[in-house]
Amino acid sequence: METEAQTCIDRRDPATVMRLSRLGSLHQCRLSFMRQLTRRMARENWSFSRPVFDIDAKGVGTAVYTAHGPDRAYSLVAFAHDLPPEKRSDRVIADAWDATFALFDGIPTQADIERLSKNVPLQEAGRVSETELSLSRANRSVRLWEHVVDALAAGRQPDLQQIYQVGYLMRTTAVYGSGKFGAADRENIANRPETSAPFQAEMLSVFLTRTFVRDLVQHMANAKGGNQAAKLDPDIAHWLGIGNSTGLGMAPFIVNHPILFNNWVMAREEAIARVRSVEAASPAEVDHFRRIFERSQLSMTWWRSEHPVQIEKLAALNADLQAISEYLDQDGLAGGHPWNRLVIWSQTALSEEGQEYLASLILEPYADLVDGLASCMADGNAEAFVIDGSMPISEVRDLIRGAFGWALDLDWTSRENCARAWYVSEEKLEPRMGERFEEPIADYEQPLAPARDAVVAHAMLSEWDDAEPVARFLLRHPEHRHTVRRAQMTRSAPYGEIRDNTIGATVVPLDMLRAKLSFFGATHFDPRSDRWVRICMYAGAPYPEELTSENADLWVYPEVPA
Amino acid sequence: MSFSLNEVEATAKRATRGAGYSWGQAEEASKAVRWLCAQGLDGAEVLARLLTLGLASELAAHRPRQVDGLWQGDGELCPLSAGPLLSDSAYLLKAAPVEMRDVVAPELLLPFAANAARVLKCWVSVEIDGTLAVTDGDHLAVHGVLPAAARRVTVSQGVAPETLRSRHSRAQPAPGDWDVLNRFAHRTYAPATEESRLLGAGAGLSDND
Repeated sequence: METEAQTCIDRRDPATVMRLSRLGSLHQCRLSFMRQLTRRMARENWSFSRPVFDIDAKGVGTAVYTAHGPDRAYSLVAFAHDLPPEKRSDRVIADAWDATFALFDGIPTQADIERLSKNVPLQEAGRVSETELSLSRANRSVRLWEHVVDALAAGRQPDLQQIYQVGYLMRTTAVYGSGKFGAADRENIANRPETSAPFQAEMLSVFLTRTFVRDLVQHMANAKGGNQAAKLDPDIAHWLGIGNSTGLGMAPFIVNHPILFNNWVMAREEAIARVRSVEAASPAEVDHFRRIFERSQLSMTWWRSEHPVQIEKLAALNADLQAISEYLDQDGLAGGHPWNRLVIWSQTALSEEGQEYLASLILEPYADLVDGLASCMADGNAEAFVIDGSMPISEVRDLIRGAFGWALDLDWTSRENCARAWYVSEEKLEPRMGERFEEPIADYEQPLAPARDAVVAHAMLSEWDDAEPVARFLLRHPEHRHTVRRAQMTRSAPYGEIRDNTIGATVVPLDMLRAKLSFFGATHFDPRSDRWVRICMYAGAPYPEELTSENADLWVYPEVPA
Repeated sequence: MSFSLNEVEATAKRATRGAGYSWGQAEEASKAVRWLCAQGLDGAEVLARLLTLGLASELAAHRPRQVDGLWQGDGELCPLSAGPLLSDSAYLLKAAPVEMRDVVAPELLLPFAANAARVLKCWVSVEIDGTLAVTDGDHLAVHGVLPAAARRVTVSQGVAPETLRSRHSRAQPAPGDWDVLNRFAHRTYAPATEESRLLGAGAGLSDND
């Protein structure tokens, strides 16, 4: 039955949502790209095959995993390597890995595999082609890998506690898509139903990578243990996700794609507003929510970090979980607008981490209100790039004040407010952040401080007649074109701008990484520094051969083991 | 070599910035080059040729003196000034054609005329010293050979052409042009130091755990 969408509660104010500390507290939700993918594959009854698994006793060789959708097939071409420990680095500047991958558009021929074998293991130093949709690599979690191989080889099952705590056997680093290193452009697949939502090819690549890793660890255990090797218990295999290690390179993405990022945030905010607008929760909806709340707490107990900031946030989150429990016991979800009351209560009772966890969680009982918003998350608005030069200068200034009003009173000449600068390093052509006053980087600064630039443009515009079309101003001041463009984009993308200083002395780039990764559906954020984070993907998910409509969505919330 | 259009766009953006243009113009130049490549034109060659002229060192001399009337500069017009102005002020075309004089690399005006066509939701024609190009934003028809520099350019609302160029999803820039773009792009990269390697990337931990 369709539930009518109520819209009496507005979406939250961008001034609240787009603060960096809140973006750095976001959690996965029904709209996450991993869950969109697994739901679709189950709904459309995708089938999966492993046409090639040619790997020797040392773990070196090639495997191919094919996902067959209704209209097209996609294949993960995997190369397994024998990597000496001294070469194992999760830095993007590494040049060798335990395994390397490409997602092939279709089913590769032997010639395709041959071509890829000469390029994919080289990663950035190789070239792929228009038939490849992504390029990626992974390293073993050495401790867990050895434990699992040794246990299975000796005829035993691995220790679940160790699996819970690490979460994965292999950790990916960069998963390159969208035309990188010669791969197909996003535009080539943007109009296909299965890849129109963001990052679906990349998410599929990781989903298949997880299966490959499970098969590879079994293969290695069999090679070591021979006849006495045990088969990995499928119930244990479920808890093996795929790790990912992500550094600064990803942080500029959400600044460089304001429309796209807006569409992600706005879809989630619209979903939250719809659920808050629900007048009364049915017993089934309340029950669903309580069950998911219980299950999510188990996942939280596996969330470990050694990073002081995250340790503090986790302590707060654990206290928040307790507070939510008490709220549910006392106030419950009876009465009018129960979700709205819950959200309003959370705004003063919980940490930002807890508030955003809860905001994601209340969406769970309402697939019919929420899931359709997934179709709004891609960026199909190329027109937004084009500046409307007929807009009067007064209106441009209003737009700047709307999105960057908070920045107008900041003293941008003060060192602490511009202590950092984003640049691209000559060495690996990767975005980095440095100390403006300590390193020779200011001349190479990337345009990743939209607020600072907006303040300069706002002042300059004030010297012009309010009624003049902004085209005249831009003819004289092309240095403000990017700012005027962004200001005009905020008309259709209210959540496109971060409402914080991205170059201040205290900026935490991690917040930008987490915001993006949470939309992928990542869990267990484990910062390794203020600009480097490990996460877990697909832990608890069914493997391809097990995927059904029953298990395609809620796998992210582990069932309490009996 | 075959490049994705994203690779062309990324390189063109860095190259344009490296040649001294503003970030906003670099964004526009990169989208323009991508658009030309998608029409099967050699966008990399056009941009490499333009950047080599070094107009960015004296941008004010190479832009229209004013929005109204004839678009003419103190020197030759740079399409990365005239083009964005054309796209910004597409509304002018509703009243009268836009006339320009002495434009270098005029091919680079076409993607901006395409923006104007999208804004106005009509066909826009660009007459470059007698060669006619027509676009609706997504598609392009070119009748004749586009010159390396133009004496006269007239942009006006146009009519749909009979045949359109086919669209391309890859680009094959000549190695020489690609090298030129990469040399300009290189100017935007900060030289690496061991300190910045560790400070900037923020990692450096072993992955053997």
